[in-house]
Amino acid sequence: MNTSTATEGRVEIDGRIFNPYSKDFIRSPWATWEKMVLEYPVAWHKDLNMWVVSSHDACAEMLKNNVFTPNYKAWEHAPPEKPEAEKNDFERSLDHGLFATRTQDHLRLRKLAMPAFSKPVMGKIDAKIRDLVTGVFDEIGEPEQFDAFSMIAEKLPVRAIARMVGVPTNKEAFFQEFAVSVIKSTRINLPAKERQAAMQTSLTGFAYFRDLIAQRRAAAHPGDDFVGSLISASEGDDRLGDYDIMAMIQAVIVAGSDTATDLHTYAIQGLLSNPEQYRLLRQRPELMENAIIELLRVGAFGKMPQYRFASEDAEFRGQHIRKGQSILLNLTAAWVDPQKWERPRQLDITRRLDGNLVFGAGAHFCIGTYLVRVQGGLMISELMKRFPNAELVNGNGDVEYDYNHHNARRINRLLVKSNARQHVHPAQERIIHDATVETNH
Amino acid sequence: MKKWICIICGYIYDEAVGMPDHGIAAGTRFESLPDDWTCPECGSPKESFEPYVG
Repeated sequence: MNTSTATEGRVEIDGRIFNPYSKDFIRSPWATWEKMVLEYPVAWHKDLNMWVVSSHDACAEMLKNNVFTPNYKAWEHAPPEKPEAEKNDFERSLDHGLFATRTQDHLRLRKLAMPAFSKPVMGKIDAKIRDLVTGVFDEIGEPEQFDAFSMIAEKLPVRAIARMVGVPTNKEAFFQEFAVSVIKSTRINLPAKERQAAMQTSLTGFAYFRDLIAQRRAAAHPGDDFVGSLISASEGDDRLGDYDIMAMIQAVIVAGSDTATDLHTYAIQGLLSNPEQYRLLRQRPELMENAIIELLRVGAFGKMPQYRFASEDAEFRGQHIRKGQSILLNLTAAWVDPQKWERPRQLDITRRLDGNLVFGAGAHFCIGTYLVRVQGGLMISELMKRFPNAELVNGNGDVEYDYNHHNARRINRLLVKSNARQHVHPAQERIIHDATVETNH
Repeated sequence: MKKWICIICGYIYDEAVGMPDHGIAAGTRFESLPDDWTCPECGSPKESFEPYVG
């Protein structure tokens, strides 16, 4: 038996049921996720030493329950709290971050910061990063085939976020290192030494942004870009402090750079694996926003998506979760939960996605959601424009994975056959579109 | 007609547009939405919305 019911009635699993580090799982997680969702929606993982919550309903409930906090400091194995005077920039920013603040402070931060993250402001980002997208495709040119990971996914997110937060493009490598080190600093699946090293690496980045904020504050006008909007944000006499702003910049970097790398590869993989959907999106570009969410849902690239920590002892769906214990919110499994979604693995860009958890739910809903949509939408539009007849090489893009990635089922090779010189006659495209619509209904 | 923004996710409810796909007709005032109505984007409660000028 791989599962046992402990004396206290705890449902337990181990690495034989769910091993997020195994190559088989990274290549094909579907059967594992289905088993988790249907048979072990809430279970204690004896090897990972944490709870794993997998079904759509259980994840949605936990996301909206404030007893389960994303605050890493609530973890029973978190490093001891330092005196304030001994804290570095990373630790102070963490204290001011959206994951760490109490409910009222969290609402205050969201309220102050929201104008900078809202859909209309993010829409303006479109104009600021459009040339970066076309530049990336110019670099590709019109080869017979290209690698979507190295030519698009690895380049575009970091350049876009760097542009957004005011980092010169010649500092891309520095910025990329900062982004990854910030993420790794609190990944509880990594050894403490690795987290500590990542935190130290991140400090030069924090110093850079502290200086940038100081320069903007000293200027006659802080600017109307993202950083300027955060500096100007006010509610009555209330304003964001330097560490509030650094925490927000950090949040954007986490949401928009390393994670967005996977958005691009999986979006391309999803569309080119489903040519009828790729065609449909070309015909109906108004479906773009829905398509991006659906591509993220079906791609489900997270390996160990998100964590929560019990801020007090709690009963959750018949299981007793002790204060300080960690919980893996297995959101990618929830995204393909057959109890929530019909034909969950099938990409359908017209699907009604009400209640989806692709960007989370509740108080900690992904603050960078519109940024991701803008960036993804621009990339896909350009791909469709330049390579309307693209296909995956050998049907699967000769896909390769980075099995050691800290967080994602990272694809690090996806070969695309450009078919750049093929053209589909508009009348033929129309016939294909009509046939697709008929099939879907 | 006013607009309201969810301070958690940035979703904007426009009274002039409503949410026809969700059975909320154009012209429906925010105050007239049911008390248990939640943000269609992030699931936050009605109290998470504030008037939006943009």
